Amino acid sequence: MSESEEIKKAALSRGRFNMLFGLTLLGLLLLLWVALGFATTSFWSANNISNLLRQGAMIAILAIGQTFVIITGGIDLSVGAITGFTSVIVALLLQSGLPIWAAVILTLMLGAGIGIFHAFGIVQLGLPPFIITLATLTSLRGIGLLITNGATISITNDTFTEFSRNDFLGIPNLFWMVIVVGLPAWVLLHHSRFGRYLYAVGSNAEAARLSGINVKGIIYLAYTISAVCASFVGLLLAARIGIGNATQAEGWELQAIASSVIGGTSLFGAVGSVHGPLLGAFILATINNGANLMNVNSFWQRIITGVLIIVIVYFDQLRRRGR
Amino acid sequence: MIGIVSRADTHVAETRAAGPILELVGLEKRYVGTHALKPATLAFEAGEIHAIVGENGAGKSTLIKLLTGVIPRTSGEIVWQGKPTDLSTPHEAIALGINAVHQEVVLCRHLTVAANMFLGEEKRRFGLLQHRAMVREAQVILDDLGFEIPAHVPLGSLTIGQQQLVATARAATRGTRFLIFDEPTAYLTRREAAQLFALIRRLEAEGVTIVYISHRMEEVFELAARVSILRDGTLVGTRRISETNEAELIGLMINRSLEQIYHKDSFTPGATILEARHLSGKGFEDVSMTVRAGEIVGLYGLIGAGRSEFVTTLFGREAPSEGQILWEGQPVNIRSPRDAIDLGIALAPESRRDQGLCLNLPVGLNLNLAIYDRLARTGLVSRSEEASAAERQIADLRIKTAGRHALASSLSGGNQQKIVIGKWLSHGARLFIFDEPTVGVDVGTKAEIYRLFSALLSNGAGIILISSYLPEVYELADRLHVFRRGKLVASHDYRSASHEEILGEAIGI
Repeated sequence: MSESEEIKKAALSRGRFNMLFGLTLLGLLLLLWVALGFATTSFWSANNISNLLRQGAMIAILAIGQTFVIITGGIDLSVGAITGFTSVIVALLLQSGLPIWAAVILTLMLGAGIGIFHAFGIVQLGLPPFIITLATLTSLRGIGLLITNGATISITNDTFTEFSRNDFLGIPNLFWMVIVVGLPAWVLLHHSRFGRYLYAVGSNAEAARLSGINVKGIIYLAYTISAVCASFVGLLLAARIGIGNATQAEGWELQAIASSVIGGTSLFGAVGSVHGPLLGAFILATINNGANLMNVNSFWQRIITGVLIIVIVYFDQLRRRGR
Repeated sequence: MIGIVSRADTHVAETRAAGPILELVGLEKRYVGTHALKPATLAFEAGEIHAIVGENGAGKSTLIKLLTGVIPRTSGEIVWQGKPTDLSTPHEAIALGINAVHQEVVLCRHLTVAANMFLGEEKRRFGLLQHRAMVREAQVILDDLGFEIPAHVPLGSLTIGQQQLVATARAATRGTRFLIFDEPTAYLTRREAAQLFALIRRLEAEGVTIVYISHRMEEVFELAARVSILRDGTLVGTRRISETNEAELIGLMINRSLEQIYHKDSFTPGATILEARHLSGKGFEDVSMTVRAGEIVGLYGLIGAGRSEFVTTLFGREAPSEGQILWEGQPVNIRSPRDAIDLGIALAPESRRDQGLCLNLPVGLNLNLAIYDRLARTGLVSRSEEASAAERQIADLRIKTAGRHALASSLSGGNQQKIVIGKWLSHGARLFIFDEPTVGVDVGTKAEIYRLFSALLSNGAGIILISSYLPEVYELADRLHVFRRGKLVASHDYRSASHEEILGEAIGI
């Protein structure tokens, strides 16, 4: 059967290309590290590596949450705003004397509530994801500024702030948090039926619904995961900088989306992984870190990031078209 | 007079005099995995109406796409007025004067009728659009054709049939010399169809060459001078209409006896599985019928007669407005597809691409989509069970694919349809609803799908089969219900009525 052999060959080469793409990202990251090791004296210092891991960690967690939403064919523009907003909330809660565990749980629940609100707007009100999350982006920053009257809330709870500075087994706690979030996310996306349903909804919601999948439930799940991840990052950010401020994390939503896309997620839905956005986030963090070390004008960093997005996504498109 | 006549007049003399306007010489198209059009040689005479008939998947749409420069050919030549031409882009085809009116309207629904008619050739003065002049001129053209369509309204506010007429008017007024119609009457009312035919005759009189693609034999015999027959990608012959008849054409189209394709085992019907009592809903009213174990209930009617709406209501996609559904004798309230699936109803929907498949996901995931609750009993998906369930389906249904990791979009139409059906086989339902299961499926796969029906029936399932292709429901259904305009207008037992009778009931003569 020459026909089926032809199909097989085509599929095989596609499979190789896919794997190649995953390895390319890892290779690119390692290449950057090696190159920066030669180019600078301080890159491989323990201090800088810890710093890099801390810098990348928060965007990485946002990118994981974002990826769940993008796989369903949506977008969550509000994650940066949620991060800033929840940093205010946790600061206020700690200021009011609540124990850390209670403040953390309440903040995460608030995050879940925001995610549920997004899904409500999309599923029940029929608003496009772009619109509803754009609306909460500006509103949450507004609410945060309103309740603090524009002021910064400082956090005096040392146990809380120390967490972000401390290490465990020589690795910064913040990076451990990437694993704490990433591992369950990986299991959920790649090994549970909900993961399969996320892809199915992103690929063809009507086909999924007619296959008996609770499409609305899956949308709720995706936006809730994204918002909870963002509020978790809000906790980490508050701990790291020791304050709550609603204007923090400006533009992080775009970095999260960029990380996700660099990591192979398709904005059209149904394509994406957990490891891809992680690599994407640390590639971006490395570029920023390296640029700092090499005294590259910080304006250049933004340009490099833009060029990188175009190049990587272009190659990804080539891979998709080559079927 | 503007529009059709004036623009076409200039061509009449030359086209009438010349012989063939367009010739295919060994034209061939291969896709990975399918041979969509085997080398075809054919000459279209200038100014003739040439019909092309063939079953779904016979290669008709491939031929249109080749002639309109939408896809590149694998080999062979296209000769336009004696000169070989590349025809590698749609633009090139339009420049030559080759246009097509597609079955689905491919225009901009949000723009006005006039804007659509002038799309790409807008009237401008000093670089600015002349809206009013375009509306006026479009209105003159439409009135002249007798279409009774206002030119200033958005295209989307018209019925599908009217939109089709606009598309036709558009194609006819662009200096077109070779116009392809692809199943143009599928969505038209009889009145609209009559208007369309009048336009086609007028174009013919003006020397435009018409290629008319249709399933409907009566249209072919009414309009065409010659007819070419495609079967499984092969051009099997060309006949003068005056020298052929329906039986010969059908024989050439399928080239095997009906018994060979329509494999039907008879089973003694068992208990009633589902009963609809005076069910009404969006698009249909007061429909009553039963489905018993071991029988095929066929639903025949024209497109838009309410059959799909009826079955999707049974499947919980829309709520019924009135009436009752009984499942194994008990009244049930089916509020979502999930409820229907839990009862044991499976639906292979009409449109594979829109409703049936996740095209950019792997074959395996598509096959297992309905059974992940079973593959993930512990909460986590069992990778080995997932793999074996998919592999079993691929082997049982003989799905031609590189493997379960291949994307569903890489499969041919027939194999995609097998996935849509296979999804429900592993789920194990009691009532299977197949909505147009063999559209775009080759004859061999059709026969396989029909054999599958028998296997399901022998396991005690019941089947509702919707088809717009009369021989299919006629030869397979134990009981045949005819729908017209949302109502069930007639019911027949197996082969108890003639094709003509049933068609008459569906059209409403």
